[in-house]
Amino acid sequence: MLIRVENLVHIYAPGTPLARAALRGVSLEIGPGERVGIVGRTGSGKSTLVQHLAGLLEPTAGRIRLDGIVAHARTAAARAQRRRVGLAFQYPEDQIFEQTVFREVAFGPRNLGLEDTEIATRVHWALEMVGLNPAEMQERVPFSLSGGEMRRVALASILAMRPEVLILDEPTAGLDPQGRRDLLARIRAWQQETNLTLILISHNLDELARVVERVVVLGKGEVIADGPARQALSDSELLHAAGLDVPLPVALLHALQEAGWKVRTDRLLPEEAVAEIAQARGFSEKRP
Amino acid sequence: MNLLLPGVYVAADSVLHRLDPRVKMGAALLLMALPFAASSLSSTLLLLAFVTTVVFLSTAPLPALLRTLHTVFWLGFFMFFFYLFTTPGQPLVVLGKIAVTWEGVLRGTIQIYRLCLLVVIAALLTFTTSPSQLAHGLEALLGPLEQLGLPVRELTMVLTIALRFVPTIFDEIDKIIKAQESRGAHIRSNNPWHRVQSWVPMFVPIFVSAFRRSEELATAMEGRGFRGTRHRTRLYQLRLTRQDLFASLIVVAVSLAVVALNQLV
Repeated sequence: MLIRVENLVHIYAPGTPLARAALRGVSLEIGPGERVGIVGRTGSGKSTLVQHLAGLLEPTAGRIRLDGIVAHARTAAARAQRRRVGLAFQYPEDQIFEQTVFREVAFGPRNLGLEDTEIATRVHWALEMVGLNPAEMQERVPFSLSGGEMRRVALASILAMRPEVLILDEPTAGLDPQGRRDLLARIRAWQQETNLTLILISHNLDELARVVERVVVLGKGEVIADGPARQALSDSELLHAAGLDVPLPVALLHALQEAGWKVRTDRLLPEEAVAEIAQARGFSEKRP
Repeated sequence: MNLLLPGVYVAADSVLHRLDPRVKMGAALLLMALPFAASSLSSTLLLLAFVTTVVFLSTAPLPALLRTLHTVFWLGFFMFFFYLFTTPGQPLVVLGKIAVTWEGVLRGTIQIYRLCLLVVIAALLTFTTSPSQLAHGLEALLGPLEQLGLPVRELTMVLTIALRFVPTIFDEIDKIIKAQESRGAHIRSNNPWHRVQSWVPMFVPIFVSAFRRSEELATAMEGRGFRGTRHRTRLYQLRLTRQDLFASLIVVAVSLAVVALNQLV
């Protein structure tokens, strides 16, 4: 699906003393199969932007087109487009309401009007995706689960709809480090398999660096940068201006560079940084 | 954030904002009785002029103030038609056995005007008085009832907390609606059956989070040593100033004038 954001403006509580502009003219285009990270400090408009992408808000000005169709319109065509976009809110476990895990995860597919057997297949698949054992979990009461398990169930309920565009707003906040890695690795694998468009909001740039290929930096409701992840995430000036810190490997390489090492700084992952340092040391050892 | 409630407190620094909440609440009560006391044209005009002046003094945003009238739209609508058809008098339009009368139009209009004035006066109070001040004022005004065994302090504490969480819960509702809609629920659908079906996915999460919040709040209050009501002191004491006295005098004077003008036609 091709997502086009055209000069999008969003003002909360317009015409009142509490009016607040969350987005001031955002334009961007996200093509099918792209993996995009949206970053920016709290209040920069990230969450508002992704809600627009899912057609859940009405723009104050400008518009969003999903494959050419205006996203928030109240037509059947627009509704059909919106169903192809899955959005997991921050703390998605707040949306849980069913009596069993199975029924909770089946809620989305059921709303799509699928057959029972297809629903069951999808529920099993989605629970496995988020690292839960379907046989063990599906009859349990969601409210009796731990916080981390509830989060996974909620994410599964969105995955089970098999969206073509998957938007995750801080999906791993509050999960343990291993849970985060596993979850993102599985989603990444599924993305590769199906050419899914993946849009990820995260404050954890180290995590983002493993998943996305493109980064959109938001600041005060405007796009301050939009480009390849390698470039955006290694630009410390840009990220500091946006109220963020570079990923740890980049910070390390910057420090080495300042200390006189001949290293490139656009190595986002720890293993890349290690290779870069090893290479640089190799050069230095050749010197007398 | 989308669901801005009508009549919600708007922080500002106007004469009205600075008045003692007890004075404002007393004045609002008195003024709300006046539309029913004002039966002549001159007294009605005086009251209208006074309320308009107060609206300007309050620096309340006019569109927001007018929006509060939305809340009573249907009530006003039915009241108007009730009076339109049930008031005896000179028939204007005859529809079978019932007749619309001149007197009905007039009385219906007067009732709507009274209703609107009531809402505006109440909105002026809530626009210019923060929830905690409202509760504080209420506690002071109801204080004497404590002698009769009414737990006034506990009740106002409950009221303060309830008011405090209204916007929070509305934010929550907004978020849940969106979350369930993105899972394909038909909450904003035009089909009534779809909307009824979506009540469970909407209300269960909202109740769950409300209970969780209240538990957290109770823990936080206990953690900070909140022990019911005995010997509680306040950081901000209510103190009547010359301005308060002045405002009270004006409101009483206007009220008396409205009643007096009734005699004059």
